[in-house]
Amino acid sequence: MGTLHPSALSPRDLPWRVCWDRDRCTLCGQCTAVCPVRAIELGVHRRREVPVLMGLGERPGNVYRVYYGIDQKTDPAHACVGCGMCSFVCPNSAIFPVRSEETDKLKFHANQGGEPRRRGGRRNDTASVLDRIKFVRISMLTDPALDAGRHEFELRTLLGRILPPEEILNSAKEDGWAPPVREIYPLIVGGMSFGALSPNMWEGLQMGVAYLNEELGMPVRISTGEGGCPPRLLRSRFLKYVILQIASGYFGWDEIIHALPEMKEDPCAIEIKYGQGAKPGDGGLLMWHKVNGLIAAIRGVPPGVSLPSPPTHQTKYSIEESVAKMIQSLSMAWGFRVPVYPKISATSTTTAVLNNIARNRYAAALAIDGEDGGTGAAYNVSMNHMGHPIAANVRDAYLNLVKIGKQNEIPLFAGGGAGKNGNLAANAAALIMLGASGVQVGKYLMQAAAGCVGSEGDRCNICNLGRCPKGITSQDPRLYRRLDPEDVAGRLVDVFLSFDAELKKILAPMGRSTSLPIGMSDALGIDDFHAAERLQIRYVV
Amino acid sequence: MNRHEKVVIQGMEEGSRVESRVLEERIQKAVAGGYPRVEVQAYGQHGIGGRLWNTGPEPVLIDIHGHPGQRIGSMGSPHTFIEVHGHASDDVGWLNAGATIVVHGDATNGIANAMAQGRIYIAGDIGARGMTMTKSNPRFSPPELWVLGGVGDSFAEFMAGGVAVVCGLGSHYRGNILGHNPCVGMVGGRIFFRGTQKSYSEADVRMTRIGDEDWQWLQSGMKDFLRAIGREDLLDVLSGDRSAWRLLAALEPHEKDCGKRISISRFRSRVWERELGTGGLIGDLTDMDRGQVPVIATGPMRRFAPIWENHKHVPPCQAACPAGIPVQRRWELIRRGLVQEAVDLALQYTPFPATVCGYLCPNLCMQSCTRNLDHMTPVDVTVLGRASLDAREPRPCASTGAKVAVLGAGPAGLSVAWQLWMKGHEPVVYDRSPEPGGKIAEAIPGTRFPDEVFRRELGRVLEKISFRRLMGEFGQKEFLALKEGHDFTVIAVGAGIPCTLGIPGGEMAVPALDFLRRSKRGDITVGGRVVIIGAGNVGCDAATEASRLGAEEITLIDVREPASFGRERAAAERAGARFLWPVSARAINATGVELADGKILPGDTVVVAIGDRPDISFLPEDIDSRHGFIVADDGCRTSDPKVYAVGDSVKPGLITDAIGAGRRVSQSIDALIKGVHGPPEAPSPMDAGRVRLEYYDPGRRAAEDIGQCSEMCASCGGCRDCGVCEAICPRQAIFRKDIPEGGFEYCLEDDRCIGCGFCAGACPCGIWELRENEPLE
Repeated sequence: MGTLHPSALSPRDLPWRVCWDRDRCTLCGQCTAVCPVRAIELGVHRRREVPVLMGLGERPGNVYRVYYGIDQKTDPAHACVGCGMCSFVCPNSAIFPVRSEETDKLKFHANQGGEPRRRGGRRNDTASVLDRIKFVRISMLTDPALDAGRHEFELRTLLGRILPPEEILNSAKEDGWAPPVREIYPLIVGGMSFGALSPNMWEGLQMGVAYLNEELGMPVRISTGEGGCPPRLLRSRFLKYVILQIASGYFGWDEIIHALPEMKEDPCAIEIKYGQGAKPGDGGLLMWHKVNGLIAAIRGVPPGVSLPSPPTHQTKYSIEESVAKMIQSLSMAWGFRVPVYPKISATSTTTAVLNNIARNRYAAALAIDGEDGGTGAAYNVSMNHMGHPIAANVRDAYLNLVKIGKQNEIPLFAGGGAGKNGNLAANAAALIMLGASGVQVGKYLMQAAAGCVGSEGDRCNICNLGRCPKGITSQDPRLYRRLDPEDVAGRLVDVFLSFDAELKKILAPMGRSTSLPIGMSDALGIDDFHAAERLQIRYVV
Repeated sequence: MNRHEKVVIQGMEEGSRVESRVLEERIQKAVAGGYPRVEVQAYGQHGIGGRLWNTGPEPVLIDIHGHPGQRIGSMGSPHTFIEVHGHASDDVGWLNAGATIVVHGDATNGIANAMAQGRIYIAGDIGARGMTMTKSNPRFSPPELWVLGGVGDSFAEFMAGGVAVVCGLGSHYRGNILGHNPCVGMVGGRIFFRGTQKSYSEADVRMTRIGDEDWQWLQSGMKDFLRAIGREDLLDVLSGDRSAWRLLAALEPHEKDCGKRISISRFRSRVWERELGTGGLIGDLTDMDRGQVPVIATGPMRRFAPIWENHKHVPPCQAACPAGIPVQRRWELIRRGLVQEAVDLALQYTPFPATVCGYLCPNLCMQSCTRNLDHMTPVDVTVLGRASLDAREPRPCASTGAKVAVLGAGPAGLSVAWQLWMKGHEPVVYDRSPEPGGKIAEAIPGTRFPDEVFRRELGRVLEKISFRRLMGEFGQKEFLALKEGHDFTVIAVGAGIPCTLGIPGGEMAVPALDFLRRSKRGDITVGGRVVIIGAGNVGCDAATEASRLGAEEITLIDVREPASFGRERAAAERAGARFLWPVSARAINATGVELADGKILPGDTVVVAIGDRPDISFLPEDIDSRHGFIVADDGCRTSDPKVYAVGDSVKPGLITDAIGAGRRVSQSIDALIKGVHGPPEAPSPMDAGRVRLEYYDPGRRAAEDIGQCSEMCASCGGCRDCGVCEAICPRQAIFRKDIPEGGFEYCLEDDRCIGCGFCAGACPCGIWELRENEPLE
């Protein structure tokens, strides 16, 4: 109806179409009440019939009748995001979103007012080199194969600088100091801030990690992300399971400093975030409307102001300065008892950073975040087109360490894409055998531990709007109270236990049980010749 | 065959070891040959004493001396009895299917592996992985392993049946009699043991009480075991003290499923909150309830809430009317049966509702009627306009005594005066003309409206308003005098001076205003061919009049596409007028109009209708004017704060524009006189997209009466009281309430409402609006 304008779209132009079945609908209103973007509404329709008598005995007329239906809005601001909450709440399976078979035309109009599309979530690309890697070295009579079910495993990794024995001895003798090293579980909950995540989600993850440590003896660690850490957690014994992150916004760090004299435990480590795989070179921005009293208290800011995290740290003008200065300051804060390591976006310059770190004995590790990492908010273009895949990057870094003879000294932690298609243990094992000492995981936990509906198919992706229908990334109690922290904790525990079982299923047939097969690349194969060449693993067909 | 005969088979012959295959053949041959007892001097041979399947019901005894190899008695038969007089190697009784095997010493790894029936008695210790993968077939008795000493690591892995008895006597496995990590993957069977054991797979087995039946079984079996190994002396030690024994039994599948983990909820209260404090991680920062809410919530937890916004916005018709007449509200009154009230309402806004709304106005309200969006005919307001002839006069407010001079008795001036009178002031209208009415009275052709309607409306105004004719000179001096004598002065002199064409012969043309005035007075004639320069609505009026006066060929020319529209244009076209554009006139002469291209457009009478301008020669210098028009701000105030200007003297426009401006001026002056703030900010216009036209019959073209008109009105922004919202609400959250002072409202029960917005979607009039619920934090 009405006139055309360039961004006037039909439902067919949209990436998601809402299919509604008039015969099944009971007009209960639940779908329109739950839709996070108000993509659907009740519509009034007029049906016209022209009853004509057989034989044309009378002049025919028109009969009009009014009926109601669920209509899909087509303006870009209300385009369906495919989250499927409508079908979740529909008592009668009368409504569900379907990905349009047409090319998405919304893409060309999701920039109203000159503001390019921003979103949360993931790259929306199902391709994964990690998924294609197979474990081809199976112990068949050549050496004792282990039984994942009954064999005892010690699946631990080391976070910290592992100096050669004589250097440790010298260091201890001459300096009275040796680098702190933590023995931890090789799957780490990656940094997701209090703010990006809802309070219930954040607490659920923390509680689950505490449970894994204290009830199941799994030394799982969790990074806070950049958004501070609740004062109670800082003063609790659970802090030892926590990796405190510091990033360019420095949010919440005054609270951490205030808590320092009262800490019962040292944190596991300090992660200095220089970059994020999902949006390398781009900063963060927590919009003012998400900065409520709670977030403000934890971040140490007044409520209702936007909080920018710049793309780069201020006051650091060279790689030497960037790395050395930050590591020094943060090591000093805990009396050099806590490992401190940088986290960078995967980049073709990773090895330059690594070589710098190799010369700094206070640097505990290097975390590399690949392009398939997730984010709460980023520009579309940054998510889709910026960044480096993790597989080749972590491999390059590891081989570089091999070249300088320090592959056992500086642990590499890989993130960004592990489990993107649901194959978490296989992807993590592949990363470990490519050279990672451990793997950071975030998005997979959103899906598995909290029911995030995001997929690699541009589904939902509205974390940035604070309207997460599952309450994972929202600060609105109406949404985040849908999520019970205990459920999140319970599912996190499930995930780690099943991950552990699967990892054993991969490692046992290779005869590995007491040490992680870090860099055991002879176990890996891939059916792509060039990928095999690039990763220096077997080409198998 | 002599049953007591015994054969001796040597494992070493003439200094060389007999191959396992050959030894096996010899044993099989001896047994088949009827020897019930075979003595073997073993030298590491494999599988001695196994597979003696074809012996019949009689027992076969195999005595093994020397150094037997692995898998003694493997795949053993129920009638086979094997005695090893010394130590034994790995896998004794492997896949044993019934043989009884006695070892009078220690045995190494894998003892009883995969045993399904039979018994194995060990007089010493065994190595790792004993009793693994054992079975229990319901058709036979379960297998048994008896060990006098202790067992090595990984005992009973994947044990699926049978009984193991570990006596723990004289073992070198002190302190861990079942070895490291026993029972992993064990799914069936029992293990009796004596002595200290550090751990076992709690995921698979549990320690259980030894019942009377178990104890009797153990006691009776113990006798057989000790007799077999020749250690009956230990019977008292091993059978005397039940409390020294313990029993491990495989968990039932359902016992495994329940797990031993404590629940998260328990962890939260016992561990998490005990360390962090009540409320957990952020209990110190907020006391907000963070407990789970349903996905579909009501009351404060729903995300959206509808609001009944009756008459919050101005409907499109009213917004379009320059006079601001509340058209929709009038139809609403009629639907409620209040026809007279609807009619009366007009006089609040205009002194000429019948003349203007009913005849002269292009009815901007109808042009903007929401019904047009669906190609439906707009509601015909002229019906209501004409009915307003019988409107009852409003009662004026209490007199203020304030005097306002209104210069000009046209629609603008009379509107100002009418409004000021209603507000209790004393306006005086001045005009040079002997009669008030301005262009309506003087220039608009009588064919456009019935004169008696206007006369009645004019009469109604003049009953209330003083009118004075200005005689003689009226210049700046006179204007200032007039101004001095009044509290405020409003200039509404209109545009009375026709614009002329500065082309040769221009003076030969008749200005349209003069033409229309004279035509209305009946003192002009026209030739057969009339050319009208300027094809706007005034030109069209001139054309219509020319036709009435007898012209046969009427041509309107314009330099651009004619701006005329509506009834004027239609009447001119009906009169057969021809429109020519774009053409421009170069000169006028006796034959007609010479066009720019040199052609002559023949014309006996030439009329110029290119607009009029006001006569403002009386205007003092301190009142600004531009291009011959008075400059006034949005509130119609001139640069002199006591002087206002409205109508065509400010900007040429419609009659209804002039009437609307008159109302606005009166509001401003009234506010100044009474010392109150100006008129309240006008409400925002209604978004017509919120109105649902689907409820109306698109086939209906016209209404038969005023009642049908009112039913056709979509009532934009004003509740029709139709009850659709009550009916559509899936939670019955909406109800209608009568207001004691009159009227009604629709209310919401927040505790029922889920914020689906169905009310907003279904409301025919766009009254319900769905908003985000109030922020919670």
